[in-house]
Amino acid sequence: MSAQQLAVPPPPIDGFWSGTRRSFQTMIRRNGFGLIALVLLALVILGPLYSVVLWAFAERWQYPSLIPQVFGLSFWERTFARADIAEALPFSIVLAATVTLISAVICLPASYAFARMKFRGRQLLLLSFLATNAFPRFGLYISIAVIFFRLNLIGTLPGVILIQLVNTLLLMIWIPTAAFQGVDRSLEEAALDVGASPLRVFVQITLPMVMPALSAALLLTFVNTFYEAQGALVVGLPRIVTMPVLMYSLINSQLIVQYGAIVSLVLWAPSLILLILAQRLLRGGYLTAGFGV
Amino acid sequence: MAILDLVRLDKHFGSVAAVSDVAFTVSDGEFMCILGPSGCGKSTLLRMIAGFETPTGGDIRIDGDSIVALGANRRPTAMVFQKYTLWPHMKVFDNIGFGLQLRRLPRAEIKRKVEESLALVSLSGYEERYPAQLSGGQQQRVALARALVLEPKILLLDEPFSSLDAILRVRLREELHRIQRRLNITAIFVTHDQEEALTLADRIAVMNSGRIEQIAAPADIYANPASLFVADFIGAMNLLEGEASGRQVRLGAVALPTPDGIAARQVTVAIRPEDLVVLDGPHPEAWSCAVEQISDLGHYRRAVLEVPQLPPMKIYLPKSLSVQERAALHVYPRRYLIYENGGAPREVSRPLPAAAAALLG
Repeated sequence: MSAQQLAVPPPPIDGFWSGTRRSFQTMIRRNGFGLIALVLLALVILGPLYSVVLWAFAERWQYPSLIPQVFGLSFWERTFARADIAEALPFSIVLAATVTLISAVICLPASYAFARMKFRGRQLLLLSFLATNAFPRFGLYISIAVIFFRLNLIGTLPGVILIQLVNTLLLMIWIPTAAFQGVDRSLEEAALDVGASPLRVFVQITLPMVMPALSAALLLTFVNTFYEAQGALVVGLPRIVTMPVLMYSLINSQLIVQYGAIVSLVLWAPSLILLILAQRLLRGGYLTAGFGV
Repeated sequence: MAILDLVRLDKHFGSVAAVSDVAFTVSDGEFMCILGPSGCGKSTLLRMIAGFETPTGGDIRIDGDSIVALGANRRPTAMVFQKYTLWPHMKVFDNIGFGLQLRRLPRAEIKRKVEESLALVSLSGYEERYPAQLSGGQQQRVALARALVLEPKILLLDEPFSSLDAILRVRLREELHRIQRRLNITAIFVTHDQEEALTLADRIAVMNSGRIEQIAAPADIYANPASLFVADFIGAMNLLEGEASGRQVRLGAVALPTPDGIAARQVTVAIRPEDLVVLDGPHPEAWSCAVEQISDLGHYRRAVLEVPQLPPMKIYLPKSLSVQERAALHVYPRRYLIYENGGAPREVSRPLPAAAAALLG
């Protein structure tokens, strides 16, 4: 057989494009309502973002113009010259990292136990971590604050760390538990069989296979904690001020809109980067590779 | 060079006895198959030898030394699992070399041994692949290489080919046979596939509900199944319920002669399809029957016969014999086994009746 006979003819380009156009038209005809809903949704989600981004780079923006009259970066310098921001930003990063670390120390061994051991009340305990997410947060915080007040934890670092830990439990237990459950027992047995000690099996076989999911859980927890404001607000004030708490007060009590907009943008960037990273890790694929054919 | 001894081995899960009172010896270089239906305890037995389950009672000895107290990671056994158990984050080289690295072998030697074992399973040059880049058959070959590279005293195989397709399964089975013979390694192979057991094993241990029913060479097991369960489980068999009286067993409208001394009234007669001889005409001692169904299996034909008042009977017909469905046949059981009360069977083997000739086509 010659090479020419084997070659696949290229797809007709005209047909491809006209096909696309036709299907786009049918889509509009069939899903007109859906498209309108999509546009409205985009407006609702992107509208505020648009306004925030423009405000951050606006020198002067007066109603009713749709875009600022004067663009500029002078407010960026003024924002970062503020003492409260210069203090709150590094503090917030260190705080989020600390909470994530403590959460990992508590939750990762627990999630391993949830995945690998059978004990009474396992399901109930696992479900109980949903509880903090099942009720209005603020009510929960207020009642916790009452207890913290008696324990002299209000306005202290340990108090803020404790209340932010509550928020991390769900993510840091559920994702790793699912990941550990996803590791086939017989893969660990196979390692034991060739002579690895149980500890080595965990470090060299189990851990690398759950690493993508664990990293994702750690990243998400860090991001969530970094943005956590309600708990920090209720328990931390007046002495502990995190970035999101500061942003609240900047937005609520400042006549200069740019401060709030710039701080929002600054806070938004790390989460975007980390979420993209987390998604990469979860898609990394070797969590599931190798089990199938 | 290793001899495996199982001494009155028991395993209970709560009140359920998974393995009870199993005792046998596997001699050096022997290929032993443990054969039984799913749930009979054969995998549990293997996992106890590997160290993944702790026996409730009894002892496991390799070359005379008990290994029960040793963890799975300290036993001189290596296992090939039913599932694909290559570590997905390691290349083929590291999968095979992992056990050698744990033993702190020099790098050059690890490399040499990994290459050797890959050559043994005909996968030379696959060192740098990841498991996900291999087919199911290749993955199980790598798993075999991973087990063999450690030069274990006992090789354990837990239905390693059951997730592969039929053609691949036969090919890998032959390859395993060749490798086991070449290395002369003591091996225990667990399977529910009797064809696999009959072709691979030096000896077969047939298991049923946690107990060993019979241990013997494949030909022996086939010719003389020690219990009704084995008779039913291994090979094709016609099992007929009958009533013993005097010197014969009544089976519906027909009867078969028996040796003396059957105490039980209810017996089961087992006849292999190939022990039913087709005669050239009617005879007082032959059974007249109709051919109900014929399946062509290539080099021979399998037919189902209808004998009045008996369950359908299987028989093999040579291709040269031109018999159609619904035709009348006269068959003569040349050899059969009589089982009473679960004990060992009585074998009856008799010549063709006088003045009758087998129809050979």
